[in-house]
Amino acid sequence: MLALDLAVNGLITGVFYALMAIGLSLIFGILRVVNFAHGEFYMIGSYAYTLVCVALGVNPWLALPVALVAGGALGWATERTLMRPLYAGYSSWGNLKDEYAIIVTFGLSLLLINLVDKVIGPYPMRGPGLVASPRMALGPFMMSGQRLIAAAVGLAVIVAVFVLIRYSFWGKQIQAVAQNRLGASLAGIDTAKVSALVFAAAGALAALAGGLLAPLINASPDVGVFTAIKSYVVVVLGGMGSIAGALVAALMLGVLESFAAVYISYDYRDTFGLVILVLVLLFRPHGLFGQRGREV
Amino acid sequence: MIDNSETRANREFAVSLGLLALVALAPLVVANEYWLGVLVVCMYFALQAAGWNLLAGYTGQMSLAPAAFAMIGAYGTGLMAYRYEQPFWVGIPVGILAAALLGWGLGRAALKLSGPYLGLTTLSFAEIARLIIGNSYDVTRGDLGLSVPGIFDARLAYYYLFLAVLVVVQVGIFLTLKSKVGLFLQAIRDDEIAAASRGVPVVRWKVAAFVASSAICGLAGTLYAHFAQLISPELGLIMQTGFVISMTVIGGMGTLVGPILGAFLVYLGSEAVRDFGGWHLIVFALLVIVVARFFRDGLWGLVRLAWTRRRLPPAAAQPAVGTR
Repeated sequence: MLALDLAVNGLITGVFYALMAIGLSLIFGILRVVNFAHGEFYMIGSYAYTLVCVALGVNPWLALPVALVAGGALGWATERTLMRPLYAGYSSWGNLKDEYAIIVTFGLSLLLINLVDKVIGPYPMRGPGLVASPRMALGPFMMSGQRLIAAAVGLAVIVAVFVLIRYSFWGKQIQAVAQNRLGASLAGIDTAKVSALVFAAAGALAALAGGLLAPLINASPDVGVFTAIKSYVVVVLGGMGSIAGALVAALMLGVLESFAAVYISYDYRDTFGLVILVLVLLFRPHGLFGQRGREV
Repeated sequence: MIDNSETRANREFAVSLGLLALVALAPLVVANEYWLGVLVVCMYFALQAAGWNLLAGYTGQMSLAPAAFAMIGAYGTGLMAYRYEQPFWVGIPVGILAAALLGWGLGRAALKLSGPYLGLTTLSFAEIARLIIGNSYDVTRGDLGLSVPGIFDARLAYYYLFLAVLVVVQVGIFLTLKSKVGLFLQAIRDDEIAAASRGVPVVRWKVAAFVASSAICGLAGTLYAHFAQLISPELGLIMQTGFVISMTVIGGMGTLVGPILGAFLVYLGSEAVRDFGGWHLIVFALLVIVVARFFRDGLWGLVRLAWTRRRLPPAAAQPAVGTR
């Protein structure tokens, strides 16, 4: 019974990892860079949700879209101001694009953490939950109602993202740019617009994860740091740039961590994912799902 | 004006020694114990920045683990003193050796990785090291921290110890860059495949750069442990690595002056404006982004640009920023 309980809880955690990792994977797919400020998009989402609920007294269900929009706007602005030199060719970094991307996203992460710390304050803030009842029964299991509802919303959004990327006009443009930026631009796709769209979407997804978890994790300036590291593990495990791989890897990591924390060591629960990341990068750099991982 | 890798290294080395000479004279003016301590911390960061710059700025390996190596060095000497009651002259070499060995392992393991993959691997290494030290209560006392005996009584003695070490490290890096090894490293940074095809032993020097950089960061950590006399796993936080990277980038990455200029300006600057309510870290992060985005060669690049403009007639002036 414990095992099943752990599995369900792990899968739920995995849904939130997936929300983060899908965005990271999309970004890697089109720009070949890792966004080291991804955790801060998540942090901004959790603050947007909490502040709108607490300060303005808005219904939590209406605060979620606010978090989504805040993350999207931040992502869009990041792409516009910092990522464009990567492909528009006006950066002085020449072929050292990876270095540039690491430094600016790392700098952005420092900036957002300290800005929030200064403007809002370092103390954790707790937002109201989406549902009133603290415990809910899922079949034979009792679990936190907020977690369950949040995971359901997260899952619905993930399905929507998959459908949009697969079938919508914009989704197909994203796939095209991910496969071949030059080719896509020759076919008349506005690659700059697609890049901005992808960054906005990634920011929105991360912020949504932050908003959904805000009642459980309590928003604080550095809340995104470890979540971001988890999502790096997921994108590497799933094959960088593959969003299907990211989903599967996110669920796997969630379950694995929930078992390892109980059966191996609770103190070291956060190290397992990191060890997996290092091992995958050393022995299977394209991720567990092989070459298929190269597709979006 | 001849401007190649070697003349540039000469010029930058001279300027950096000039800066360090100013630092050597600073105690004549700064008698305050507090500010001497601040300057020592500047030198702690300058050492790490110099080590990171050797690896990232000159060899093109974007490691995100410099602070972790400093933490490893600090715990090397700290544990030697705390568990085995060894004096500092045993502990410091042990700390440096530990950092160098782990750096060798990381460099070997990450040989085939580049760009974001290398960044993620080194970041994970740093976090694993920090979590292990933070959770091994039986050995390291975990988050409680470890108290380390001091070496001197006077703060001024630490000051000149750090300064002497910084000068030695700076001379070592300069001599390395002047030798053919320096060209090897920069060739690896600019194009690894092309370098290998021209006979550069890429594997050997990439790993060597990792070892040297880790050892320098570890050395910084060992000295800091004896200076602060209390160490905790927080020395290896990602934020600390962020400081090291920011200082190097603001000062000028891939230059000899950059890490030292950056460490002093940024840390002193943030100390000076600390009273204005904690905006210093925000200004500092903003500066990193702006410098990386618009002035790749940092403050030193701007100084060089101004110098070139002044020396040459406007028409002949070459843009110094971004050209290497």
